[in-house]
Amino acid sequence: MSIIQQHTAASLSDAWRTINIDALEEDSSVNFDTSTLHPALPEISEADVRQINTQVRQLLRGGDAEGALRGSLEMPVYNGSDLAKETHLHTVIEVLQSIKASEMTPMLQRIYGTPGGSECLDVLMKYLYKGMAATSAADGSSSAPRTPTRMTPQQTGFSQVGGRPGGANESTGGAMSVLLSWHEKVVEVAGLGCIGRCMTDWRKV
Amino acid sequence: MAAPEVHHLFHNPIADHSFSADRKTLAIARDTTVELYGKVGSAFKLKDELKGHDKTVTSVDIAPNSGRIVSCSQDRNALVWEPSPQGVYKPTLVLLRINRAATFVRWSPSETKFAVGSGDRVIAVCYFEEENDWWVSKHLKKPIRSTITTVAWHPNSVLLAAGSTDAHARVFSSFIKGVDARPDPGVWGERLPFNTVCGEYMNNSAGWVHAVAFSPSGDALAFAAHDSSITVVYPSGPDLPPKAIISISTQLLPFMSLIWNGEAEIIAAGYDCEAFRFKGGVQGWQLSGTLEAKGRPGLGEGREESALNMFKQMDLKGKTKDDTQLKTVHQNTITTLRPFESSGAAVKKFSSSGVDGRIVIWHT
Repeated sequence: MSIIQQHTAASLSDAWRTINIDALEEDSSVNFDTSTLHPALPEISEADVRQINTQVRQLLRGGDAEGALRGSLEMPVYNGSDLAKETHLHTVIEVLQSIKASEMTPMLQRIYGTPGGSECLDVLMKYLYKGMAATSAADGSSSAPRTPTRMTPQQTGFSQVGGRPGGANESTGGAMSVLLSWHEKVVEVAGLGCIGRCMTDWRKV
Repeated sequence: MAAPEVHHLFHNPIADHSFSADRKTLAIARDTTVELYGKVGSAFKLKDELKGHDKTVTSVDIAPNSGRIVSCSQDRNALVWEPSPQGVYKPTLVLLRINRAATFVRWSPSETKFAVGSGDRVIAVCYFEEENDWWVSKHLKKPIRSTITTVAWHPNSVLLAAGSTDAHARVFSSFIKGVDARPDPGVWGERLPFNTVCGEYMNNSAGWVHAVAFSPSGDALAFAAHDSSITVVYPSGPDLPPKAIISISTQLLPFMSLIWNGEAEIIAAGYDCEAFRFKGGVQGWQLSGTLEAKGRPGLGEGREESALNMFKQMDLKGKTKDDTQLKTVHQNTITTLRPFESSGAAVKKFSSSGVDGRIVIWHT
């Protein structure tokens, strides 16, 4: 085999393009902890979350839905355990589900008008997206193992003979529709900027 | 308010634009070339093409006094185009020493230096070295963690603001011995050796920074980030916390560029395809409205619809209204705003360019 052939074979291969050259450079972003770029957030424990939950429930029982919504949004769990984050998500969704559709827009407008209100709606938007992700994931995981094992068409939920889909499915659908109508209302009040902020923000709920 | 002057140059994105001091020459970064347009009557006609880069040109700037043009490109180079008396431009390569694309370039107000932002996490501050007859650069490196998207000069030509994708807007000293006069101490610092970090700011949600600008006095800094906000910083002195950091989150899409109009007004434009005005001061800022005159004639609603035309449209397109046009002058994202005509600190006219290939000159 001649040298020329070896050379062409080597240069024809694209393997060298897949070398991650950033990994070889010591001060590149791959070798750097990007979380140190911003100041650390206070950690919120599960006990704190449960406390907020009871306060919010009290407000809800007292009929102060707006206070409950504000209360649940003013202390988002940015830095906390998964369980704390999950619990707080449930608190927020509980509040959202207890508010009537006709009250949504006026309430959001009132919150948006107060100082710090824009931030509150950004947090709400984050919980809406998290809620949608949670409900659709729960939906997906329950139906995923079913599909390959049972091949009968009745189980898909589309067939008229099979009737309505199962009860669990129905409740996630209900939660999703609440979240979607809130999403629409929040965008009306806080604009598309709110969605953009949700996507760019490094503080995840 | 007088109607804006619209020049639709071509159907390609304009990465950056710059006018000469007499406003008769317009430099446009288009693909891999810098196009020079000359004013003929009321229109701009292509008169020269500066070919020297072999990848997309990302930024271009004309020095108002010397007439030199600097351009930078994704090919990691910057070129200084020196005008000759015959009107021919001669390129000189600048030693940037960067391993990633050059993203943004601006001349300092003194015109002895320029700064090039890059994807290599450095800003190359370039100056002319007489003895070698060559443009050389010094790197501002620490503490930049990501691509520099934008730079802006302080009026004293020593301080440089830079926005980065690591969500920080920073103020550096780019003092170069033998090139710069020692700056007077100010709110940003007293002694300013090269690469002094005079300020490092981010907003709450930490979006990428798209644009930075010093106020006309140089004592305040504004930046726009990808979280649809603009933030204004009023420093109070070296090693002291700033007097105020005011962040305004808007309902709009993010802003790509901003300019100051005096000390109490900022004009910003971006993905919403129109320019917006912000008003305020150290106590607070708010969005005061758009610069677009709404309901201009000749944009759909003013046109008379005949029944024949209506049915024709329904047949052809399945709808009666032609809604393929935005109601704004720009038909796509605005990427650059620049002052066009100023008196003192106030901007009377400014120009905008964007992805739609239009240059628009607006009255403030």
